[in-house]
Amino acid sequence: MNDWLNKIGWAIGLVLLQVLILNNIHIGEFATPFLYIYFVLKLSSDTPRNQQMLWAFGIGLTIDIFDNTVGINAAAFVLMAFVRPTLLRLFTPRDTYDSFIPGKKVMGSASFLRYLVACVFIHHTALLTIESFSFISFGMLGLRIVLSTALTTLCIVAIEWFRK
Amino acid sequence: MRNLLNFLIKYNYWLLFLALEALSFILLFHYNQYQESYFFNSANAVTGKIYEVSGGIASYFHLKSVNKDLLDRNMELETKIQNLEKTLKAHQVDSLELLSIERLPQGSYMLYKANVINNSLNLTDNYITIDKGWAAGIRPDMGVVDANGVVGIVYETTRNYATVISLLNSRSNISCKIVGSNYFGTLRWDHSDSQHAYLEDLPRHAQFNLGDTVVTSGYSSVFPAGIMVGTVDDMGDSNNGLSYLLKIKLATDFGRISDVRVIARKGYQQQKALEQKSIITNE
Repeated sequence: MNDWLNKIGWAIGLVLLQVLILNNIHIGEFATPFLYIYFVLKLSSDTPRNQQMLWAFGIGLTIDIFDNTVGINAAAFVLMAFVRPTLLRLFTPRDTYDSFIPGKKVMGSASFLRYLVACVFIHHTALLTIESFSFISFGMLGLRIVLSTALTTLCIVAIEWFRK
Repeated sequence: MRNLLNFLIKYNYWLLFLALEALSFILLFHYNQYQESYFFNSANAVTGKIYEVSGGIASYFHLKSVNKDLLDRNMELETKIQNLEKTLKAHQVDSLELLSIERLPQGSYMLYKANVINNSLNLTDNYITIDKGWAAGIRPDMGVVDANGVVGIVYETTRNYATVISLLNSRSNISCKIVGSNYFGTLRWDHSDSQHAYLEDLPRHAQFNLGDTVVTSGYSSVFPAGIMVGTVDDMGDSNNGLSYLLKIKLATDFGRISDVRVIARKGYQQQKALEQKSIITNE
């Protein structure tokens, strides 16, 4: 019960942070941090896949409603939640526990960073590709994906390293 | 059969994944097609309230620049008034001139003040949310301007809020002309940056210089003629070579708009209904 309240609090906090502050950041008109994906990144490794995807869908759709982009964030976030367990298994050292919350302590900085970049990159690629659906400028799209991925990763690393 | 069932049970998350993705895309395409789904946009009551509070806080950060804009505008208007008074005095004998000046703006247009409570720059289709809705007289398809120039066109309204298609939106197209010549073209945005847009379909024999002012043409029912849009920054040919493609530096700074005015033209609904009718009869 307490755990659920805790999660809902985190979800609301991250959504508000995203729509009120982060969505207004466009460094060089290209890079925007999408920090709300931090929520699913930090779910425990034994959370059922279905539950992860439902969280992702709920949070993604809420962001969409604020942003007038119905479906875009939801689709990208569900995709990330869907592949996350596979990526987690792929990047976790063999001798870790069965159930753990992904972090640099449990996984080691290098594996955690690899897991983080892979998840962020998949999410941003899906998000920005769907968003610019009708545009053919691949160079521009690629640049936005790479720069936004770098920025989001940087933000999450900062939070992760300061939270101890 | 049992194997199939076992398979489905084991991989049930695939089903949920496909269902959620399908739902997202249905919403995505549905929303793009129909304007009725206003539950899902930032004009609904809850998101509108949250944006209103945050917009109220954020507007304080812009006070200094807003103030400066107002002073500039004030000064400009004062010089204009002085010039007008001078002209009036020179023409005092000719009462017809006076009449035509008086008749111009009043009566046919109404202005409503509104505040911007949400705004975006970096999407393909950018919308602005304002804090006045149909209760205050705002209706879809009204024009929106700020102290510097054109901002966009009202898209959807709820009781107390409205969304505006800003110039920075792939759906926005506004009829504009270059001051001094009466040739007109269509203003579109290509998603590249928030300070420039392109003027298309300007005929090849039109004459103009770089730096010329671009204003609304008044041919659409949305904006009156002569509202500032921007200045010509660069010129080129359109893809088919039949017309000019001009790069326009927008007068409005979309990064910090906060006070806007919504322009309602009396009788615009009649004009629209008439144009709609003639389109139908043409078909």
